[in-house]
Amino acid sequence: MMRMPMRFAAGVCAAVLTAMIASIASAATYSADATSRLEFTGVQAGAAFKGVFHQFTAAVDFDPAALATARIEVTIDMNSVDSGDKDRDGTMRGADIFDVAHFPSAHYVTRSVTRTATGFSAVGALTLRGVTKDVPIEFKFAPSAAGAGLSGTAELKRLDFGVGRGDWKSTEWVADAVKIVFSLNLKPKT
Amino acid sequence: MPAQAVRYSPLAQIFHWVIAGLIVVQFTLARLAEPLPLGVHKLAILARHKSVGMTILMLAVLRLLWRLRHRAPPLPPGMTRFERMAARGTHVAFYVLLFAMPLTGWTMSSAKNYSVSWFGLFTWPNLIGKNEAAFDFLRTTHDTLSYVLFAVAVLHILAALKHHFWDRDDVLVRMLPFTKGARRS
Repeated sequence: MMRMPMRFAAGVCAAVLTAMIASIASAATYSADATSRLEFTGVQAGAAFKGVFHQFTAAVDFDPAALATARIEVTIDMNSVDSGDKDRDGTMRGADIFDVAHFPSAHYVTRSVTRTATGFSAVGALTLRGVTKDVPIEFKFAPSAAGAGLSGTAELKRLDFGVGRGDWKSTEWVADAVKIVFSLNLKPKT
Repeated sequence: MPAQAVRYSPLAQIFHWVIAGLIVVQFTLARLAEPLPLGVHKLAILARHKSVGMTILMLAVLRLLWRLRHRAPPLPPGMTRFERMAARGTHVAFYVLLFAMPLTGWTMSSAKNYSVSWFGLFTWPNLIGKNEAAFDFLRTTHDTLSYVLFAVAVLHILAALKHHFWDRDDVLVRMLPFTKGARRS
């Protein structure tokens, strides 16, 4: 007679626990929608040029009150690079630059997030062209009714990742430093 | 009769020879870049071509402003009406091309979404937005005008030599630095 209520209680407890864990995890879990942008600015022959990656996904766990569990993860389809000139895009996809045939995607995931005077900064590992190196980012987080906005900047050296082989290794005509600008429109994950 | 300069002034000579030299550089760089595949070498040569082109454009502006305030030495007497018209037409064509060549080059670079830097020191604004059709048209125009410029330059050089060796007048000498005055006044 006592077995049923016991099992029932245990079941309820498990269900409640599962729901709680799920709600904690999902409370701050977002994904970037299609209006999000990921841009980069390089310098070529002394003149800046801008490019975007049209295809990327971002999964974000972010609660300003719980930075220890914050996590930003971005996966970029390197084939979707668009610098406003198809010849240049073709060259960038080629073996000497991004080598998309062998490295179709790049990946970034943060390891730690800290608060700064103006927003947040994070350190994360960027895997690009098969090389993984830390790249810090600075960003702002703005919650909204529909989700949140996460926008910021980063700077990296392309040669740290072997982006530019052969002649393209020279920084005389293509600068080593590349600026990244991102603005993610985050929607709660369903 | 009021005294009129027989020789071109030193400044006029500097404009003439510096721009002439830079145009030779431009043809050379264009020829070097043309057969290359898209790569660092082509990028480097075209970057110099663009920097030199923008230099020519700036010199052309200064030269035109200067020219509007100064008269060129008169043509020698004895030239036929046709010769005077040919001389005038050649010089007008040069001035038009001095602007048309760099402007079509600059615009075509803008249309391809490659901003033009001046020797890496600063970047010129894009004249138009990215536009593939405009790029193709401007590229053809730039190429065609380069042939016109080449033809006009050949005509100009042959005419100067003809004046010097055939007519034996001072038309060539008065544009040459380091030479004593005109052969004939």
